Amino acid sequence: MIYLLLAAGLFMGWSLGTNDAANAFGTAVATRVVKYRHAVIIIAVLVIIGSFLGGQKNITKVSELAESNKVVAAQEEVEQAIATGEEAVAQLQLKSAWKAFIIFGCAGLTVFLMSYLKFPVSANQSITGAIIGWGLFHANYTDPQVLAINLPQIEKFALTWIVNPVGAAIISFVMVTISHKFIEKRLTNLSQYDRMIKIGYLIAGAFASFSIGLNSSANVTALYYDPYFSSTGVAANLLTDPRVAATIGGIAIAIGVLTFSKRVMMTVGTSIATLSQVDGFVVILAMALTIVLMGEWMGIPVSTSQAVVGAVVGAGLTKGVKNVNFGVFKRIAVAWVSSPTVAGVLTYLVALASQSYFAT
Amino acid sequence: MNLLPKKSANNVVSVILEQLKDVEACLKEFTSFMLVAVDPSSDYSQLEIMASKVSQLEKTCDASLRRMIDSLNATLLPGTRRELIDIATLCDEVANNCQNTALMMVYQNFRFPVEFSEDLMRIMELSGKQMTMLMNAVSRMYTEFGKLLKDHSILDEIRAAETEVDDIEEKLIKITYSMDIGLAEKMQMARFLNKVADVSDIIEDVSDAIQICLIMRK
Repeated sequence: MIYLLLAAGLFMGWSLGTNDAANAFGTAVATRVVKYRHAVIIIAVLVIIGSFLGGQKNITKVSELAESNKVVAAQEEVEQAIATGEEAVAQLQLKSAWKAFIIFGCAGLTVFLMSYLKFPVSANQSITGAIIGWGLFHANYTDPQVLAINLPQIEKFALTWIVNPVGAAIISFVMVTISHKFIEKRLTNLSQYDRMIKIGYLIAGAFASFSIGLNSSANVTALYYDPYFSSTGVAANLLTDPRVAATIGGIAIAIGVLTFSKRVMMTVGTSIATLSQVDGFVVILAMALTIVLMGEWMGIPVSTSQAVVGAVVGAGLTKGVKNVNFGVFKRIAVAWVSSPTVAGVLTYLVALASQSYFAT
Repeated sequence: MNLLPKKSANNVVSVILEQLKDVEACLKEFTSFMLVAVDPSSDYSQLEIMASKVSQLEKTCDASLRRMIDSLNATLLPGTRRELIDIATLCDEVANNCQNTALMMVYQNFRFPVEFSEDLMRIMELSGKQMTMLMNAVSRMYTEFGKLLKDHSILDEIRAAETEVDDIEEKLIKITYSMDIGLAEKMQMARFLNKVADVSDIIEDVSDAIQICLIMRK
């Protein structure tokens, strides 16, 4: 029964799959370079591989953020429950699962509401915002000790708002410039050009799918992960192995990709089709590379939407500043700030309403 | 990794050029037809035979267009296939226009006045040159589009020829409406002048389509 509470995380993974797939293969599918059926199979497989091979790192990081914000039980809490008895452990497990359910529920509701109101939204950012929203109520941010742990995490999170898109823009600018000099000039005939486009999109899409698995799988199941199982031998949360947790996240994303990604893929694909075909797949490569590097450097999941926007801007800048529509930043900036804020406020309110249950 | 078989890609370009050669043959036959049509001493039966030959060649063009479309299966990307089909269909329009004009001239027993012959032959000569340049451009678009993108003087020449044809057409239409004949005859003659000059217009449209195809890959 308790495992039903996993549904909220899996649902979030499913919705991440329906949206993020578009960043990997949207342009290729919209321009019919790659068939939709082939694209979703590649994404699904590579997302699962990415989450299996590298998703656990982000699981641990998100779980740390969740712990410092009182979402995931701290070691003392787990040990205390173990000392009290089986019932206390079961109670802790249930509470942890409910907390995760609430946070995913609030983040999911934020994504739904903002999409309904036609505001751009980032699912990754909503989850982080929801975790912090929970922490703002339960973690006593006035305590300097708590602040000392949480503030660097929040700073790091806010820093990704700038570093992620700017990094993607720089990487994309360099890669597109190189491709103009060394790839496009060498493409002399149509069949060669088409071959290059097809292979380019397949490689870029596959790499992007891998990076999504690496980056986003943690946002699906990290809150259900128990970081102290290996040391205590008792499960105080639903999932006890980070690799398994990441892989379940990857599978949820893959199911989203396989079942409901076509519409978003076509919309995103046609909206950035103003780029040349070669620039199109180089931008996707740059986005994927940014996500992987950000994961390595910042150690937290970043927004794939931010990375793709930054990469498109970087590609545009290779043709001059005038080639970039800076007006679009206003809407995107709204999404970057509003997604975590709305999710945070929503979660704070739910935390307030449910305080009697979680305080005991 | 070779997703698109080279053999098949080469086959596409040869089928495209084959279709263009058929269109060129049809245009050449139409030029011969026009040469006879402006000769007042030529007889109707000769024109009828030549028009039916133009018509026959147009059918050959239709068949080669279908062959060309069939050869595109899965060799190139859908977008490229669409562009090549558009270009080939436009080229086929040249043959259609030749056939239609020749047959209508025969059915209506229409002859251009002898004083138009020099200008009309100039139009046909320019259209023939445009066709040759077009074949070259199509071949280069397929095999070396990068160079054609940088140096598209051949496409500019096609356009320049079309401008000259336009000027001649305008001049002849002006003369037509100043002639001492009935309005219906004037309109009939102007209509046929338009049809003859349309060949050059269509070839220019193909050159525009080629340029768009190149720019999309810039």
